[in-house]
Amino acid sequence: MDGPLPLALLVGSLLFAAVVLVYVVLDRTPDWGLLGLAGVVEAATLVLLVVAAVQVGGVDLSGGAVVTLFGYLLAGLVLLPIGFVWSLAERSRGATAVLLVAGLAQAFVVLRVMQVWPS
Amino acid sequence: MRTNPSTRTGAGRALVTVYGVFALAATARSLVQLLTKADEAPLAYALSAVAGLVYVAATIGLAELGPNPRRLAWAAVGFELVGVLTVGTLTVLDPELFPDQTVWSAYGAGYGWLPLVLPFAGIAWLWHTRPRP
Repeated sequence: MDGPLPLALLVGSLLFAAVVLVYVVLDRTPDWGLLGLAGVVEAATLVLLVVAAVQVGGVDLSGGAVVTLFGYLLAGLVLLPIGFVWSLAERSRGATAVLLVAGLAQAFVVLRVMQVWPS
Repeated sequence: MRTNPSTRTGAGRALVTVYGVFALAATARSLVQLLTKADEAPLAYALSAVAGLVYVAATIGLAELGPNPRRLAWAAVGFELVGVLTVGTLTVLDPELFPDQTVWSAYGAGYGWLPLVLPFAGIAWLWHTRPRP
């Protein structure tokens, strides 16, 4: 997992959360632009999962750490889709804020993946 | 006319999301701990599992699933408040009590104090949306 991908994903997740915050403040409902940004974050998370699966054999990680690592990566894969399903069922400021929570949780998950992975 | 506001609409939707994230995180974490190193700190990990179940119950209650969701939500956030205050106080007074971190250790300081704020937010929301005659 060398290279800029984990950091780029962390920044992308925080950017997504920041954009959602603007939507919440302006009381705008989610649109295709927001969905597209989430799609990019989601695709990058999937790539990170594949990269981790390929490279995990070559690093020194205990069994528990491996379970933790892939637990976080799988959580990162489902957070935004579930967040969107839960959010889009209703048109309200609170429903849009659901995506803010999901975006921040996504950033936290990526941060934890970076911490668990031996540098 | 009797009103019975929903706990899962408006701001409640975001609150359910926060509880859902905590339910997932605390349950998954305690499962990993209990399955891989249960003998290191059994009390702390069992407590983490209890906390995880409390978050699951609060999420289900606030999301209005099941036969009596409001009662479930009240019980869960009440237990959560007592839990985080009790465990928080015990761990501050005697850090040796739990050899490993739990979600409620030091009032949830390891999770940005959110575990301390969350039960108050839950109680405030349940009160705000209480059924009124």
